[in-house]
Formats: sequence, C-alpha cells, structure tokens
Amino acid sequence: MKTIMAALAATALGSLSAQAADEVTLQLKWVTQAQFAGYYVARDKGFYADENLDVTIKAGGPDIAPPQVIAGGGADVIVEWMPAALASRERDVKLVNIAQPFKSSGMMLTCLKESGIETPADFPGHTLGVWFFGNEYPFLSWMSQLNVPTDGSDMGVTVLKQGFNVDPLLQKQADCISTMTYNEYWQVIDAGIAADELITFKYEDQGVATLEDGLYVLEERLADADFAERMVRFVRASMRGWKYAEENPDEAADIVLENDDTGAQTENHQRRMMGEIAKLTAGSNGTLDPADYQRTVDTLLAGGSDPVISKAPDGAWTHAITDKALN
Amino acid sequence: MTLLAAAAVVWAASWGLNLYLCARPGLAVRIAVPIIFGAALLAIWECVVRGLEVPSVILPAPSAIARAFLSSLDILGIDFTQTFIKGALPGYVIGCALALLFTLAADLSPFLRRGLLPIGNFAAALPIVGTAPIFVMWFGFGWQSKAAVVVAMVFFPMLTSLVQGLAAADRLHRDLMHTYHATYLQSLWKLRIPAAMPFAFSGLKVCTTLALIGAIVAEFFGSPIKGMGFRISTEAGRLAMDIVWAEIVVAAAAGAGFFGLVSLLARWTLFWHPSQRVGFGR
Repeated sequence: MKTIMAALAATALGSLSAQAADEVTLQLKWVTQAQFAGYYVARDKGFYADENLDVTIKAGGPDIAPPQVIAGGGADVIVEWMPAALASRERDVKLVNIAQPFKSSGMMLTCLKESGIETPADFPGHTLGVWFFGNEYPFLSWMSQLNVPTDGSDMGVTVLKQGFNVDPLLQKQADCISTMTYNEYWQVIDAGIAADELITFKYEDQGVATLEDGLYVLEERLADADFAERMVRFVRASMRGWKYAEENPDEAADIVLENDDTGAQTENHQRRMMGEIAKLTAGSNGTLDPADYQRTVDTLLAGGSDPVISKAPDGAWTHAITDKALN
Repeated sequence: MTLLAAAAVVWAASWGLNLYLCARPGLAVRIAVPIIFGAALLAIWECVVRGLEVPSVILPAPSAIARAFLSSLDILGIDFTQTFIKGALPGYVIGCALALLFTLAADLSPFLRRGLLPIGNFAAALPIVGTAPIFVMWFGFGWQSKAAVVVAMVFFPMLTSLVQGLAAADRLHRDLMHTYHATYLQSLWKLRIPAAMPFAFSGLKVCTTLALIGAIVAEFFGSPIKGMGFRISTEAGRLAMDIVWAEIVVAAAAGAGFFGLVSLLARWTLFWHPSQRVGFGR
C-alpha cells in the first residue's frame, strides 16, 4: 500500500513538474547536424529538464530565415550569425545577442590550386561561389576590404550564387567556393579531391571573421522579467550541453543522429563535424566577447559602397543573461 | 485605430460605388469597376498594415513596395532581362517548338506515337526541384540552365494540347478530304492544323505563366548574382521584403502581359473560329 501511494505521489509529482515546465522554442539556422549538438545534448541529457524547461528545437533549412521566424512569433530564441542579425536590426527586427557559444568562425573560401590562386590578391578574374540568403555578408565585406569589385568586371571577381553543395568546384564552374570547416570542406575531400590540391582561406586568418552561431531574442521580450529569467536558465543549460558535447564529441554526434528525422546524416560525417565544431566553441563559455563583437561590426561597416549595416548598432548585445546564467 | 476605421470606410464606400456603377451600362463603367476594386484593396491593405503596425518583414505596406519599386528600377530591369528575356522566352520558344516537332513525328508514325508520348509524360512528371540543380550542373549557372528548366516545364502541356488539337478535326471533314483524294500533307495543312489552332493557343497561353514560374524558381538552385529568382531568395534572406514584393509585382505584370500578348495573337489569327467571335448574341 505504502509503495503504491509513493508511486502515485511520484507520478503525480512527475506530471506536475512536467506540466509546470516552461516552454521554449528554439529555431536553428540550418538542418539538424552537429553544428547544433549542444542544444540536442542539453535536451536529451536532461539539462533543460533540470532547469525546468521544455525546449522545442525547430530545424532550419535553405529556405528558412530565423529572424523572419522570430519576427512572426514562431520561436522564442534563434541561432543566427551576427551579420544577418545586425542586418535585421536595421530592418526593425530588434534582435539582441544573449549568448555566443561559438568563439571562432568556421567559414572559408576553398580554391582549386590549379586555378593559380595563391593569395587573396589573385582573386580578380576568377569565379567565386558564395552562399546568399543572409550568408553573403562576410564575403561581401571581405571583398570590399580587398577593394575587389564583385560585378564580374576584369578587375573584379565573378560571383555565383552557389547552392548548398560543392558541385561548382567539382564541375570546375567556380575556382573557389564557400565552405565551412565542419561541413562542405569535407564534402570536397569526400568527393575525391585531395587536400593538397586545395588551398583554403579562413575568414578567421584573414582578419575578417564575423561571429557565427549566437543566440538571439527580440529586444522587446527581454524587458519581460519572466522571459529573461527563462532565457537565463535556457542559456545555462545550453552551455552545459555545449561543454558536454565538446568533451564527448562522439556521444554528442550520436545524439544528433538520433534527432535527425530526415535520416540524411551519417555517423562518420557527424562525428567529424562534431570534432571541428568543438574547435569553434572552444574558448567561449557563452559570454559574448565585446572585442569579437567590435571586430564583426568593423568588418561589416567596412563594406565600401554597399555596406551590410549603415551605422554601428546600438544595444545589439547584452551580458545580462550570461552574467546571471554563468556566474 | 483611426486607420482601421478608415479601412472600413474605404471598403464600404468602394463597395457602394461599385454596386451603383454596376447597374449602369457603358464601356467607362466596365473599366472603372475593376480599377475601383483594385484601388480599394490597396487602400485597405495600407490602412490595415499601418493600423495594426504589422512588421515590414511580415507584410510591407503598398506605399513601401512602391517606394522600393521606384528606387530600384535599374535592378528590376537587370533582373527582368536576365530571367524573362534570357531565361523564360528562349525556353518557351524552344519548348513549344520541340513539342510541335514531337507531335508531328508522333502523328506520322504510330510506332513513335506509342514511344514518344510516354516520354512526354515522363518529362511532365519531373519535379522542378530535381531538374533545376541537375541542369545547373549540365548547362552552367547562366541563363542557359534556366531556359532548359523552362523547356522541361512547358514541353508536356504543349504536347498534350497539340496532340489533342490534331485529333480535333471533324470526322465528316476528314471524309470529305478523303473523297477529294487529298494527300497527307494537304489534309494536314488545310484541315487538321487549322482545326488544331484553338488547342495550340490554349497550350501556348498556359505555358506563358509556366515559363515565368520555371525561370524564377530555377534561379533558387544556383545562379549568377542577378535575376528575379535570385533577388527574391536573397532579399528574403536579408528581410528586405519590400524588394521581394517589388519583384513579385514585376513578375505578375510580366506574366499577365505575356499571357495577354499571346491571347491577342490568338484573336488575330483565329478570327474565323467560333470561339473568338465577339458581340454576337450576347
């Protein structure tokens, strides 16, 4: 009898706490992959539940712009790159960075050595593949800093809107394509092009790196104490997830695979990706480094004739959440 | 709030005005009614968007779209040339011509008819999201791959229209040609092709809009940095919805204009056909 009562009480408590869990919807920037391992780990390892959160993770894709989703009320918090977030701020979607799990940029331009490109000074006259849909800002800033027009003229480069695959390089339709250290670069390698046939330029090394995956919320909602407190718990649990993923990359990759409903990802690719992602999240405890922010803004403002943002943003980030979450 | 009230007033007033006008005959009225309807729709849209403070990334006001349209005329022109003139038009012409050749070949030989028509069917079932990236690989990032997508899109509707058209000649007329001892070519040229014309034109009309849609969507899967599809997907990513809507206006106008042009052509060439008669018995 006693045990039954205890069991009943336990279920009652269990369902009570399950009901009381605060709901948070997270919109990812891209499809389910190890790039977002920290959030999946935090959910599946119960870190969110420990903070009494019930987190829904919405996968993104090539046709999903997270700022549009959050503006339409489809998410509470989004994963976005800072250039796109700052650009939407100028479009009256007032996004605020509340945490920055990624310290370094994974973006690169990968070129075929046979194209004769050895340094960025060799770019003019070549065809470069670039992602658009909000991912073109770092590239455009870099080119305008190099003083290379992107209009296809003799002095400039011809830009292709590349799809989210590496075919243009394999087909030799482009001399260089955009790649991420953790994803497309390895697709090129997997396609049978040896690493010594390639030359890569990391945005990080060129001094034009802009901050990638950060957590952003709408400014007006941060004023709500309840929401801010929920975000404190969310960030704390997410960073626990990220640090766990860094230390246990293979397990994290497997968790991501379990969450991939499309079945498109493979274990080999995800484990490798997690290894590369861990290098980018290393060195960040989740707190945004104002110096990184400043470098991002400076890079974007240096956009020459067509700058990504027209003036230095104000109030685009806050330490209010991470200070409470991490100290 | 006042803006929402204004929206309601505009709606009621324009409705009343149109009801009043509809009861009256005349060409001026026939033209005025749809214009009043359209203008009222725009006014209500403007008032509601401003009144409810809808964020511009969800739905920009018509005035904002008009501003974006006027301030980026050069870009819109470049995009129109790239997508419509270079992508949609050649694809439309090649696709329709190809369908004509296929139809004639199939008509000449029952063997080809049984073999070619299923292939046409197959081409129609190809999803554009599958063909577009493949054609980019085959034909490059330029307009050529977009034209190829358009060819694949317009080919089948045109083929079915033409096949149906060639079969449309009246049995009695054919028997008459037979008694005249007309050759295959004579009967084709003098009887069956004229009889097929209304079907051919309905196919051509359907294909105008298909061609434009195909050319725009194909640009989502790799393109140079110009074109209506490129601009729509890029500016949507930048949350510049006013530019996206301006492109939509261009696409709608281009599609409607193209359709209208082919309809006019149909009226001029088919003046003899009962389907084109205007004004009798109405």
